[in-house]
Amino acid sequence: MQKTILERIERVTDDVVSLVLRGDEGPLAPWEPGAHIDLELPNWLTRQYSLCGDPGDLSAYRIAVRHDPLSRGGSEYVHLFLQPGRTLPVSLPRNHFPLHPAAEYLFVAGGIGITPIVPMLRSAVASGAAVTLAYAGRPFAAELSSAYGERVRLGRPDLAALAAEFPAADVYCCGPASMVDAAEAAFPAVHTERFEPTRRTFGPDTPFEVGCARSGGTIQVPADESLLDALNHAGRQVPSACREGVCGSCEVIVLEGEPEHRDDIGAAAGRMYPCVSRALSPRLVLDV
Amino acid sequence: MTSTNTLPRVSAAEVRARLGEPEEMIKAKIGDRIDPHARRFIAHSPFLTLATADAAGRADCSPRGDYPGFVKVLDGRTLALPDRPGNKIADSFRNIGENDGVGLLFFVPGMRETLRVNGSAYVTDDPDVLARMRTEAKAPVLAIVVDVAEVYFHCGRALIRSRLWDPASRALAAELPSAGEIAAEKMNLEPALLDQLLEDGYRKLY
Repeated sequence: MQKTILERIERVTDDVVSLVLRGDEGPLAPWEPGAHIDLELPNWLTRQYSLCGDPGDLSAYRIAVRHDPLSRGGSEYVHLFLQPGRTLPVSLPRNHFPLHPAAEYLFVAGGIGITPIVPMLRSAVASGAAVTLAYAGRPFAAELSSAYGERVRLGRPDLAALAAEFPAADVYCCGPASMVDAAEAAFPAVHTERFEPTRRTFGPDTPFEVGCARSGGTIQVPADESLLDALNHAGRQVPSACREGVCGSCEVIVLEGEPEHRDDIGAAAGRMYPCVSRALSPRLVLDV
Repeated sequence: MTSTNTLPRVSAAEVRARLGEPEEMIKAKIGDRIDPHARRFIAHSPFLTLATADAAGRADCSPRGDYPGFVKVLDGRTLALPDRPGNKIADSFRNIGENDGVGLLFFVPGMRETLRVNGSAYVTDDPDVLARMRTEAKAPVLAIVVDVAEVYFHCGRALIRSRLWDPASRALAAELPSAGEIAAEKMNLEPALLDQLLEDGYRKLY
């Protein structure tokens, strides 16, 4: 964890504020556009927010938070109770949404999903590539339009038309689940980031066993317990944050067996997220 | 010594006469809505006691706890409490079905003052309310909604006298038998087994 001080809270729109988190112990850890951090709130909740500031300035991180009307206590706390001057621990940045080198980029964003796109857009433009942003939302819309002019198209995007217009572009989408779903259908390939888990159904939860390669021993995971909980209860401490397969903080290395991936991150080969994922084979061996 | 069922009973009027009237300032502090201070208190409270009573007025009080702010303020006159898995005796639910009067006492660790909220309650399964109470990717099945009638901060004397937040007070727990030992006496079972069952149960909090 890195120690930051909440330097200021600025209103962006009616329901979005932006936070400047200044490093309290020298420069903060470096990050690439698309990265997010875990923010530990005073009410014990940990929430993930994309970094939307300048990666060249490591004196502070900037995030933007929308007040979710169905808030469980994260965004509501940020909006109603968080006070400047308070110390806030944040994680090292993680990036599940990195920008890949390309000659042409198309960014599609909706609402608060603009946050990771802001630094990606800046980096893409700086690279000299052809860049277009289609953005349905209000946060940062005016600033982006004035900074990037005609590259920015505001309003609800026609995804099929964009797919036809930019057949060769590297496409990135972040926004509400409905928009990300539509983008995955409209473009042959699209990099996406989701802020909330996809609603999907899986087969029934079944028990399986886990071999612990590093610490030794075997752990039985009952049907009604997550792999993450089973590991932690058996004394193999695995850090976690969102516990719903979107943040990636609980990643573990799989040495044997076939995981059933239920996360929204897209686990790389040989990795899994035990907060939601289970096993297709009766036994997994993990590097724990 | 007097027998315990014949101790002298002091009438309500006599009690009032002996204690005197509360100061006007104390009466004035009773509000009828969740103001910003009460809202901030609730947002930082991980624990409360919930008092209910059945149709005959027989009272019951139970603890409720989760992360700070687990009680949601829906608006200035409405709160919602999640129903997390417990012992399934559901005394509170049964009482609220018979008699909607409830009293809540909120605690914030380290804070000497407590917040009292009284009102009338009903049980809901509204999906939006339950969605706000989702933890560990699980939503509760039911929630208790409280229509707020009275809200006020209670002075800290009881908590000061009780040294409730003094870390040294935790030594008191070492003087008690474990929950398993207490139950084992009643059920004629092995205390260690009961403690193990209890600990296993405590692993599943949601």
